[in-house]
Amino acid sequence: MATKQGFFSRLFDGKHAVISIPYFWFIMLAAIPILIILKISLSEMQGTSVSNMIDWSNGWPKLTLNFSSYQFIFSDSLYLKTYLSSIQYALLTTLICLVIGYPFAYFMARSPKHLQPMLLMLIMLPFWTSFLLRIYAWKTLLENNGIINNALMSLGVIDTPIAMMNTSFSLMVGMVYSYLPFMILPLYANLSKLDIRYLEAAADLGTSPFKAFWLITVPLSKAGIIAGSMLVFIPTIGEYVIPELLGGSSTLMIGRVLWNEFFSNNDWPMASAVAVVMILLILVPMAIYNKSQAEAEAK
Amino acid sequence: MATAPKEINQPAPEVLLRVENVTKIYDGTVKAVDDVSLTVNKGEIFALLGGSGCGKSTLLRMMAGFETPTKGKIHLAGQDITNLPPYQRPINMMFQSYALFPHLSVWENIAFGLKRDGMPKGQIAERVEKMLNLAQLGKFAQRKPHQLSGGQQQRVALVRSLAKRPQLLLLDEPLGALDKKLRETTQLELVNIIEEVGVTCVLVTHDQEEAMTMASRIAVMSEGYFLQVGEPDTVYEMPNSRKVADFIGNVNIFDGVIEEDEADHVTVRCPECVHYVGHGVSGHTGMEVGVALRPEKIMLSDKKPKGEYNWCQGEVIEIVYFGAHTTYHLKLDSGKVIKAQELNNTRDLSCGLTWGDRAYAHWNDLAMVVLAQ
Ligand SMILES: Nc1ncnc2c1ncn2[C@@H]1O[C@H](COP(=O)(O)OP(=O)(O)OP(=O)(O)O)[C@@H](O)[C@H]1O
Ligand SMILES: [Mg+2]
Repeated sequence: MATKQGFFSRLFDGKHAVISIPYFWFIMLAAIPILIILKISLSEMQGTSVSNMIDWSNGWPKLTLNFSSYQFIFSDSLYLKTYLSSIQYALLTTLICLVIGYPFAYFMARSPKHLQPMLLMLIMLPFWTSFLLRIYAWKTLLENNGIINNALMSLGVIDTPIAMMNTSFSLMVGMVYSYLPFMILPLYANLSKLDIRYLEAAADLGTSPFKAFWLITVPLSKAGIIAGSMLVFIPTIGEYVIPELLGGSSTLMIGRVLWNEFFSNNDWPMASAVAVVMILLILVPMAIYNKSQAEAEAK
Repeated sequence: MATAPKEINQPAPEVLLRVENVTKIYDGTVKAVDDVSLTVNKGEIFALLGGSGCGKSTLLRMMAGFETPTKGKIHLAGQDITNLPPYQRPINMMFQSYALFPHLSVWENIAFGLKRDGMPKGQIAERVEKMLNLAQLGKFAQRKPHQLSGGQQQRVALVRSLAKRPQLLLLDEPLGALDKKLRETTQLELVNIIEEVGVTCVLVTHDQEEAMTMASRIAVMSEGYFLQVGEPDTVYEMPNSRKVADFIGNVNIFDGVIEEDEADHVTVRCPECVHYVGHGVSGHTGMEVGVALRPEKIMLSDKKPKGEYNWCQGEVIEIVYFGAHTTYHLKLDSGKVIKAQELNNTRDLSCGLTWGDRAYAHWNDLAMVVLAQ
């Protein structure tokens, strides 16, 4: 029929083909893997392999959904505590990154135009060395006989080393250090576009520079604040490497639990269920963000 | 205190703003404003008129406090404000691009300055209401700036700068973003609002018609200094230099030499004709001068005028129809092209001239201005 033909010819015309490419990659690289994880999370372990969800032995498909992993997550308070603590660490990291990153981005955006590309380069410079290497470097700085403690002791400031490694402190240092650029870059992009005339207009209407910052600059950079916060918050919730190397066993982060389920307990359905719940945890703030964006645009 | 501009120019006007020998040099090299002095009287609308890059905005921004003069002083109502930051000056500015706060509603934009002054809530609401009515924006109070048309944004910007009842209002190309038609209606609207509030006003524009329509006095600027300051009709009818004559409206300039220099008249011999000017000028016989003649003061006819002065002849090479008037381009025998503007006061073309016709242009002996070279 005509409509059907129209549908296919529309599907294959250039415009739709171009749009379909990102969809294709999204389906291949994000949607399918997540569906596989979801499937595993609803199975159970049979020896060393995962049970089949669909059983064909009777000639017709028999679907078995196994919710025991999820039940276990919600019955064992340790998981809940770990999720909560992950969110806390992620929130705290986001907040500290914002507090440090905002003035950073602000002065970058206000510095002379010819200096800005260089400052931007400096922000991105750490990315040129391996992430793992940089985290290890912090280890050598923070250890009991690390550089900082040794320096302080040789100066006579302290007698016994300060325990910094494997604490919340070392974890936060590592997370803030690693994710600060992700806060600064969107903030800088936003603040450098801020029209200086708004600040002039505010001053003209009797606003001191300090007040104008809070009344004009901050509200107008809301999009940058939200983008930066998302870029820090979402990856830090599930962060594994930094808690593993700097946080130690006392800091509860869901990424490490996930790793243990996979590689120590070899319990793939459990690990997948932990991951699925984590994805949901990340999707909630994302959805809130998208909704606020849509509302802001509709206004 | 709605005062018409004409009444203000009485014997002893009260000076509100005094700019003394102000110079602004950017980056040590760019001289944007060069030793400018001016006074603005209370209740006056003063226009700074000049071409692009002549330093109008810079001068205005020094009045607002966004730039500090390299040299010179600025006084407001007797007080030296040269080094006062903008947020402490009782001066408000309407920005060329409006600079309405995009995250605030129209209402909040207008209330912004009042809140900073710590005005009680009830009074703020009252004042904002008054301003909204003044600008006929009542319906739009809760809208965000981007939901308004250009003309509406312009009115919000105006009343936002008026809300605090500033002693001095600065307008930087207030109508620059509007199209020609809207501009003309808005000019008068703007003047009405300004006069209703009774605020003194400095206006920057590069549009000479806008300056003439709105201002009670005009300063013509070029390359950072003032060429002439005066009332619109003075600047138009008696420009003091070629640049001013050229800048304000259309003008034909004849180069010539003073031939006869009497107390009640002079004659200037030009290659095209001899001008008989019916008043004395400061000059001497043999001096090289320019004679400026506005197109609307030239009359065209196909008959040879009487006498030997104040006429020339040429060929019509171009006719530009403007509706209310028509401009004829006349190529004189010397090769010079002059423009003559005829009113279309009847429905057939007024003097029946057409392309290629030979025509006589003539004018009376008080029509021109003699300018020193
Ligand atoms: N911040 C600045 N730094 C350096 N030079 C400047 C600066 N602002 C203006 N200038 C220069 O000073 C001169 C006067 O500029 P100004 O903005 O006052 O001109 P204007 O008369 O307002 O022109 P326009 O009608 O185009 O707005 C120009 O040559 C301009 O390039
Ligand atoms: Mg300007």
